[in-house]
Amino acid sequence: MMGLCSTIRLVALLVPVWVALAAFAPTRVWAFSVQEEKDKCLSCHGQENLSMTLDDGQAAPLFMKGELLAGSVHKNLRCTDCHSGLDQLPHKPRHYQDLAQFRASFGEACKSCHSDNYAKTLDSVHYRVQARGDAFAPTCVRCHGSHEMGRPAEPRARISQTCATCHVAVSDTYVKSVHGKALVGENNQDVPVCTDCHRSHNIADPSNLGWRLATPSLCGKCHADEKRMKKYGLSTAVLSTYLADFHGTTASFGAHGKKKDDERVVALCVDCHGIHDIAKATGADATMFRENLVTTCRKCHPDASENFPSAWLSHYEPSLTRAPFVYLIKLFYKVLIPFIVGGLLLQVVLHLRRSVGKKR
Amino acid sequence: MSEQGDVVRFNRRERIEHVLVMILFVVLVATGMPQKFHEAGIAKTIVEALGGISQVRYFHRMAGVFFAALTLMHLTAIVLPVLTRRSTLAMVPRPKDFRDAVLTIRYYLGKVRERPQYDHFDYKEKFEYWGIVFGSFIMICTGFVLLLPLLATKFLPGQVIPAAKVAHGNEGLMAMLVVIVWHLFNVHLAPEVFPMSRTIFTGKISRERMRHEHGIEYARQFPEEASDAPTDPDAKKP
Repeated sequence: MMGLCSTIRLVALLVPVWVALAAFAPTRVWAFSVQEEKDKCLSCHGQENLSMTLDDGQAAPLFMKGELLAGSVHKNLRCTDCHSGLDQLPHKPRHYQDLAQFRASFGEACKSCHSDNYAKTLDSVHYRVQARGDAFAPTCVRCHGSHEMGRPAEPRARISQTCATCHVAVSDTYVKSVHGKALVGENNQDVPVCTDCHRSHNIADPSNLGWRLATPSLCGKCHADEKRMKKYGLSTAVLSTYLADFHGTTASFGAHGKKKDDERVVALCVDCHGIHDIAKATGADATMFRENLVTTCRKCHPDASENFPSAWLSHYEPSLTRAPFVYLIKLFYKVLIPFIVGGLLLQVVLHLRRSVGKKR
Repeated sequence: MSEQGDVVRFNRRERIEHVLVMILFVVLVATGMPQKFHEAGIAKTIVEALGGISQVRYFHRMAGVFFAALTLMHLTAIVLPVLTRRSTLAMVPRPKDFRDAVLTIRYYLGKVRERPQYDHFDYKEKFEYWGIVFGSFIMICTGFVLLLPLLATKFLPGQVIPAAKVAHGNEGLMAMLVVIVWHLFNVHLAPEVFPMSRTIFTGKISRERMRHEHGIEYARQFPEEASDAPTDPDAKKP
């Protein structure tokens, strides 16, 4: 137990450290409270026609609707926390080449607090568009909003709605899919929203070969999850049966080496089940899926006969009821291999034992 | 043992066949097992070392087609001389082989004093040979089904493809294990031949080894030297 004496000694030691830290801490020159600062900024930026002229002659709006802040997660921040370097009046003059550069500069504002997510965006397909100098490239505020900044995943469907503002066609397809219907119609919390597959900040180019080859493990994150699949009566063997088959093995070995990013390599989950238009493949819908299978196979194997699709056991492990022929052959070797190899091994052991015995 | 004392056991065709089968077998196992055990870490290492899965499959298929051709040539070379009565079917199992197997095991167990005497091919050699023949038949048939699944399903039900895959992988695994456990023991580690029997490469066997391992054939070829060697009970009396 710590005695009174040692507590006093510890406090005596800590007080000068704390005083020293406080004395050297940077102090704000700008001496307004949060609310005072907001009022001050809005006295100019609350005017609708406030704008600045960019180097290319275009006008960049500088108007800010004060009410937007009310629901913002950032409502207790100072304006200058994000709009740094503007705490002097009048502001030091700034120059932006064009709208793209003007907008990109907002991303820099988020960086100082959200550096981890900012760093992730540098690897994203969105950043690539931004780096090209595209004025409409998605920056932080494009997805998150600026002053009205809310929680991006509340409710969950909001994520997909955010993406839908630009990706309209994909979103229209998605909402009709088995995942989208459950999200929109039932507020299902298990189905993937855009970011569950595409990630949020480090969004990869979906035509990238490495990313496409990772789709089995991506789908497997949920579809091989026993607890989650049990709720919907879905089999978790989908991943293992896929990987054990020709297509899956090929994919797990990195497919066919040097192929272009947009080239079709080997049937991945999405090649049969679709991407944004994934439909149910169980229950009543299964028949339709099965009937269309030969069409699906012919996407890659144009000469496939009507028999060909049944070469694929539809993610089922062979059993006496499903693919009995395959099951029996499997069973046959399960017995034969230990019998033959064990028998020969026994003979080798006996042979050696006798030879050793004879020499004695 | 002098060169003069050696007896020719395998002709040139047979020796070349063995070397080719040996090479093809190693290639087929090395490129086939990583496909069967694809989850294993070492499978990834091997596949990468060989230049990717496409390359591995290409090697495997090429070796498989060569193996099929070699098997066909072997059968032709065996069947034709038999049909024209220039050769006998020394490899065909006879009742004596089954008795030999039992007797040999009884000998290993110490139940009988002497090991039975064997003819030109002993029961172990016959077992291995026919194992390879039947195994090859399965491997070649299933291999072609897997090589040409679209063609196969034009005539056969689709389930044949996964069935062929299961059979091909397991038969291959069994062949590999039999070669490791049985063949490599019999030609390398067995005390009679340790460290290695060179007969299949030189084609020659010493008279001493022949007398020991193929006593019946020895007695037939050199009757004056082996007057008291046991004779083959199944041999037809003159």
